Formats: sequence, structure tokens, C-alpha cells
Amino acid sequence: MTAGIGPLAALLLADGRLPVGAYVYSAGLEPAVAAGLTREEIPALLRARVRTVCVTEAAAAVLAAREAVARDPVDYGPLQRALAARTPVAPLREVGAALGRGVHRLALRLAPGHPAIAALDTAVLPGPPVLRPLRPVVTGALGAVLGLAEAELARTVVYDDLQAVASAALKLLPGDPLDSVAWVAQTASSVEEAVVEAVATSKPSDLPARSAPLIEQWALEHARTERRLFLA
Amino acid sequence: MHNIRSKAGTVRRTLRLGVAGPVGTGKSSILATLCRELADELSMAVVTNDIYTDEDARFLRSAGVLPAERIRPVETGACPHTAIRDDVSVNLDAVEDMEDAYGPLDVILIESGGDNLTATFSPALVDAQIFCLDVAGGGDVARKGGPGISKADLLVINKTDLAPHVDVDVARMVDDARCAREGLPVLALSKKDASSVAELADWVRSLLARYRADRHTPVDPGPMAPHSHVHEGSHTHGDARP
Repeated sequence: MTAGIGPLAALLLADGRLPVGAYVYSAGLEPAVAAGLTREEIPALLRARVRTVCVTEAAAAVLAAREAVARDPVDYGPLQRALAARTPVAPLREVGAALGRGVHRLALRLAPGHPAIAALDTAVLPGPPVLRPLRPVVTGALGAVLGLAEAELARTVVYDDLQAVASAALKLLPGDPLDSVAWVAQTASSVEEAVVEAVATSKPSDLPARSAPLIEQWALEHARTERRLFLA
Repeated sequence: MHNIRSKAGTVRRTLRLGVAGPVGTGKSSILATLCRELADELSMAVVTNDIYTDEDARFLRSAGVLPAERIRPVETGACPHTAIRDDVSVNLDAVEDMEDAYGPLDVILIESGGDNLTATFSPALVDAQIFCLDVAGGGDVARKGGPGISKADLLVINKTDLAPHVDVDVARMVDDARCAREGLPVLALSKKDASSVAELADWVRSLLARYRADRHTPVDPGPMAPHSHVHEGSHTHGDARP
């Protein structure tokens, strides 16, 4: 079992080569491009995501990590329901569950039998439709098992989202790959604000619920398109 | 999440069979042929990896060889290599969903996104794989080698009926392939040649029997096959450097 590896966990989880299926996700960029978003507007999309989707997901990961170590038995159910309620668009809940499944497979490999990982079954919402554990819940559980500090965990979740947009841009609105790195670097101060807010969240009912209506609308439209590179 | 098998006995019932090969060589057609030949005797499902569309899934559904819901496309984020080798998560998800929904299944066919000569499946995803070339791609392709050509469980040389039109000597192409494969099977296939189609179906039946008897060992063709450079012995890229 791989547990308590500390700071290395942040690098592992943030690595784009982590084999958890995230390369099929553009974090909303492909739907945005289909709706007319230009390359020049990508930094604005990143800022919007940091302040909305990313804060909610990072806070959910932090709460999952706390649940993973605080209670016996561990119950991710209230958190999963709170996060699902803050993801009002069905395709985005499905994507969150699909991405969570990849991280779940990794968690079962790294920490088989660990009670905080086994307890991820408590995050399954029976439906219909059944909703598997959403990615922030799984990432939080795994982060806790690996010994990742809360702020690092939150930063990893935000960073992963921004990098998903930036790297998908290379395929959707191609240009200099170095631009993608610069865009992400420029978000540093708002990333830290998101991290602070995520760590300050104390319970599922306090989970930030910032609406990002355009991102949601575009996601709904994307789910109905036929020619696409990315799941969402 | 039951993608683990052991030689000790807990063998999954479902054989996962990949079909890889360059774009346009007839992978979808091979899938359709296999479903047509075998779906009456075996419980089957299909996962397709298209690069930009769900075209292959649509083709197979329209062929009517399997119920439409047993044919599922996955998005690959424009990373068809990754989806069958470096990170097979999305394909494993689709395969496991099919096994859960329609199991017990005998065979799941997984079609790679049409790519180039170097794309092969990882054993993390498939138990065995077919690599598909066609005569129209040129008679010298088999000689060029590559991991799929050299080491796939079966090499298909497809569309042999087109050979006279593209000036390819099928017998020679098959010989080249046999030479590159050191005894592994090669099948010259045309969907218009019933005996070649029967041979393909028989190969899958026999593979399934060996798999069930735990007499089949998955082999990773690897991203690069052993080969030699002029004035050097043979070696494999990726080995520890001296």
C-alpha cells in the first residue's frame, strides 16, 4: 500500500501523464470554442473557472480529505450530494463521475483495502441515474491517504482544471504551446485565493455554489454534438 | 473494476480482443465480419475509438450485426495512441460497463482509432490483438515491420481482392509478413472470399478456447519492435543503455 508519501503526492496527482483518463476532458474549452470563444479569450475563461467551478471542486476535495481521516465509519454521502447539487447540469455530473472513476481505479491500485478508499462506495448516489463518486471526492480521499496537505490538495485540483483547458487549447485553438504555460502562470494569485477559500470551507452545506451559467449552457449543447474530440 | 487476471485460475470469462492498424485498412470491416460470423454462437460487444467522430460506431450499428447498444464509441481527446496504451482508463470504463450491462459476454472487440504502424494495444486493456494492413497501402508495408506487424497475435492483410488493381503480389506480401513475424500467424483476408472469412472466425474461436483453458498469454507488442541497424546487432529501444 502506498500511503503517507506527502509532498510527492501533489506532483503525482498534478502530472498530466497520470493515467486516469483526463485527456478526454477539455474542462469546458471545446464547448466554449464551439460557442465562439477565441484564443484571445482563453485567459478570461481560465479566470472564470478559477472563481467558479474550481473553488467548488477544490473545497469538495478538501472536505473529502477531512472526512477520509476524521470519522469512522467514513461517509462521503453528504459531500457527494452537496457537490452534485452544485453541479446542476447533468452532462457535467456525468463527466465528473467518469473522471472520478479513473482516479478511483488509481486509488484502488495505490491503497487497496484502505478504509477511506473502500468508503468511496458511500459516495455513490443510487439514482436513477446512478451517480458514481465525483472526481473531487475521489481525489480528496486519495489525497488524504497519500498524506497531502489541504492547501496542496486544493491547489492540485485547481491546477488540474486549468491545465486541462490550456492543453486542450493546443488541439482546439492551436498556437504557441508556450502561451498555454504563460496563461496558467498568470492565474497564480487567483489560484491562491481559491485555495484559501477551499481550505476555509467547513462543511458540505457551506460548499461554495458559484453559478457559471455559460459554462453550464455550453456543456448542455456539447452533450448533443456529434463531432467532438473531448467528452466535455 | 475486474481487469486483473491470474494464471492461478481466476480468469475473466470475457476475452478482450483489440483490432489495431493504420487508418483505412478495414478495421471496422473486420469487426463487422467477426460479429456477423460469431454473434449467433457467442455473446459479443464492441468498443470503438474514433479520433474525431463516432463514425465507426455508426458504421457498425448500421451494419446491423449487433444490437446498437452493444456498440459503444469512446472519445479519445485526439489521443488515440494514449487511449490504447499509456492511459487505457476510458476504454477500461467502456469495457467494464459492457460486461456489467450485457454480461456474461464471451468476446469484447475493441477497435483502435485508425492511426499509424506504431500504435498497438497495452495488455492492460486487451488479452490479444489483431493488427490489420491492407494491400492498397502498398505491398512493401509488411516488410517495413513495426510492433503490430511483428508481434500482434494475428496479422491480417486485408482487401486481397484489390491486389490486381494496385499491382500487389499477395503471396509475396504474406511471405514478407511471415518472415517479419517468425512463425506468428498471417491471414490474407477479403470479405468477398468466404474461406478467408471462415479462417478469421476460426482463429477467434481457437483463441477463445485457449484463453478459457488459460493457455493464452497476453503479449505486449510494445511501442517499438526489436530491429537492427546497419553494422549493428539487433536491439530494442527502451532497453537500459550500456
